[in-house]
Amino acid sequence: MRRYYFERTAQLVFTVLAVMTLTFFLVRLLPGGPADALRANLIRNNPEMTADQIDRRVEAQLNIMPDDPLHVQYLTYITELLQGDMGQSLSQGAPVTDVIASAAPWTIFTVGTAVAIAFVIGISMGALMAYREGSRFDSGATITSVLLNSVPDYIYGIIFLWILGYQLDIFPTGGRYSSSTEPTINLLTPIQTLAFVGDVLWHAALLISAIVLVAWGGWALGMRGNSVQVLGEDYLRVARLRGLPQRHIAFRYVGRNAVLPMYTSMLITIGFLLGGSIILEQVFSYPGMGYYMIEALERRDYPLMMGVFLVITITVAIGVYVADLTYGLIDPRARVDGGGSS
Amino acid sequence: MSKQDGIATAAEDSDVDPILRIRDLTVRFEMDRGTSRVLNGVDLDIRRNEIIGIVGESGSGKSMLASALLDAVVAPGITDGEITYHPPTDEPIDVLDLSEEARRQFRWEEISMVFQGALSSFNPTMDIRGHFEETLEAHGYPIGPGIDRAAELLNDLYLDPDRVLESYPHELSGGMKQRALIALALVLEPEVLVMDEPTAALDLLMQRSIVSLLADIRDKHDLTMVFITHDLPLVTKLADRIGVLYAFEFVEVGETEAILRDPAHPYTRALLNATPNLDAPLEEMRPIDGSAPDPVNVPSGCAYHSRCPLATDDCEREQPRMESVTGSHDVACHHWTEVDEIPLTNEVDR
Repeated sequence: MRRYYFERTAQLVFTVLAVMTLTFFLVRLLPGGPADALRANLIRNNPEMTADQIDRRVEAQLNIMPDDPLHVQYLTYITELLQGDMGQSLSQGAPVTDVIASAAPWTIFTVGTAVAIAFVIGISMGALMAYREGSRFDSGATITSVLLNSVPDYIYGIIFLWILGYQLDIFPTGGRYSSSTEPTINLLTPIQTLAFVGDVLWHAALLISAIVLVAWGGWALGMRGNSVQVLGEDYLRVARLRGLPQRHIAFRYVGRNAVLPMYTSMLITIGFLLGGSIILEQVFSYPGMGYYMIEALERRDYPLMMGVFLVITITVAIGVYVADLTYGLIDPRARVDGGGSS
Repeated sequence: MSKQDGIATAAEDSDVDPILRIRDLTVRFEMDRGTSRVLNGVDLDIRRNEIIGIVGESGSGKSMLASALLDAVVAPGITDGEITYHPPTDEPIDVLDLSEEARRQFRWEEISMVFQGALSSFNPTMDIRGHFEETLEAHGYPIGPGIDRAAELLNDLYLDPDRVLESYPHELSGGMKQRALIALALVLEPEVLVMDEPTAALDLLMQRSIVSLLADIRDKHDLTMVFITHDLPLVTKLADRIGVLYAFEFVEVGETEAILRDPAHPYTRALLNATPNLDAPLEEMRPIDGSAPDPVNVPSGCAYHSRCPLATDDCEREQPRMESVTGSHDVACHHWTEVDEIPLTNEVDR
């Protein structure tokens, strides 16, 4: 048991280190050589600077001292990363850590809400479809979810934006909240807080809807398949014969046993939360993680790019790690230390 | 179904006290290629506190009979006929005519069942205690005394109650799961326990030990047991009476001793001769020629005529009625008096 936890933890540490190493070499080896490009750029723009000053600027931004030997560069880079220093964002003119810290809550809010809504809709629809397997409702819902699921979310985003934002003018076309609203989260001023929250929801509504529209179908189809399987199990027939109430069977038997296999993919999705919906945030000019990712790409802001990339990867790795550690708690069959038999 | 008269008389003649009276029980499935009758006008009286063994080859309607006793034939199967349950004190109950709620209570409280798929009869994500508790709760029984009773039952079945109750299904062996399922079936103190191939997935030793445990359980709890199996030698060790199903109808019903020593139906004889026996040389084993009839298209007359060495034109034309051989030994065969022409080559011990 302890060995299992130790292995998983070691695996997580290894993954994170591997990702850091990868970003380091990406920056060193990317075509065009970002470090060299940055240096050339600095020299061109600051002819008065000494080579030493230039190198220091490059180091501040990329965490890389171009003239140091590779292994020294690597060690400096990793050490600074571990201290929470991801360098300086070129395009935002602020430390990468600050940019990410200001963007992350918004992405977590929008994508988190969207995933939660999609999950609830998907699970309920999937279970209903399974209970009415073969009915018109089932085939209709299956076709609808496959159709919705196979169109990328930014297409819905663009359609929503065009119709509801520009044509009908019901929803704002960008931003986190109205410029006229003061960001207030304060229990003492409930009216302002409510107004602010309402405004935030109003700004995020189309973005969230676009994600939900795509995502629910996947959960629904997965849930449908799992539920159909559970409904055909022997133990379900026995449960009915034992006279258990329908509700109890639906939740404790079908629902639970069908959701279990989806637990890991749910945690991985939550891990991807921080990545946001990269293109979608661009469509809605919503300054979240994905928005800055594209900004960084367009403006060759390598430190920011690396920072966002690192944060996303590490969150996914942590999501998988948490799934591995907790799966045994919710599914007794996966328990490494089986209660009775070991 | 004209053979009804035969067994009805036989049953009423003897002063038996039936706990379940089955009359003209038919289970059918409507299919594209016709109506499939997987139980065809079956009559049977199950006596209080007896163990009755129902044998028959695969696809003879055994499992359908088990399901029908709890009015639990899976959709789209249609159950017709009459099953009357006589509780020890109250008025008789028409099983196939219960309201949904009454049927929900009837199952498991009066008649309970152990399934063929015993190994997959437990929810894999719930411990055994949870199964007992939810069953007690669903039927409004107090949990505390119920769990005590479960522990006692498990103990009687040679299981360690504390360990089994805390275990998850995957942590138990096949035999343990099987016995835990029997305990679960008995936790509401039913009058009748129906077992559909309860030992099918177990090894020979475990089969024999479970069978001997069942006899003890019956004596201790005044149970009536319906033991459904294809394993004739196994059920002879346990059953007071045996009913032989062929092509969705009973062809012979009688005391176990009579069925073993003096089988009156050619099919029963063939079944006994086909039973593998370690002591008998292989040459003496007689597999039954031909195959079991299709439920959509059962042969006319006696369903067994195409496989029967005694068959005459009569058998092809006319369905035999149930006739009394001796007291409570009934057979449906035109030629049962000549059945000794088929010698018994194989001794099956009790």
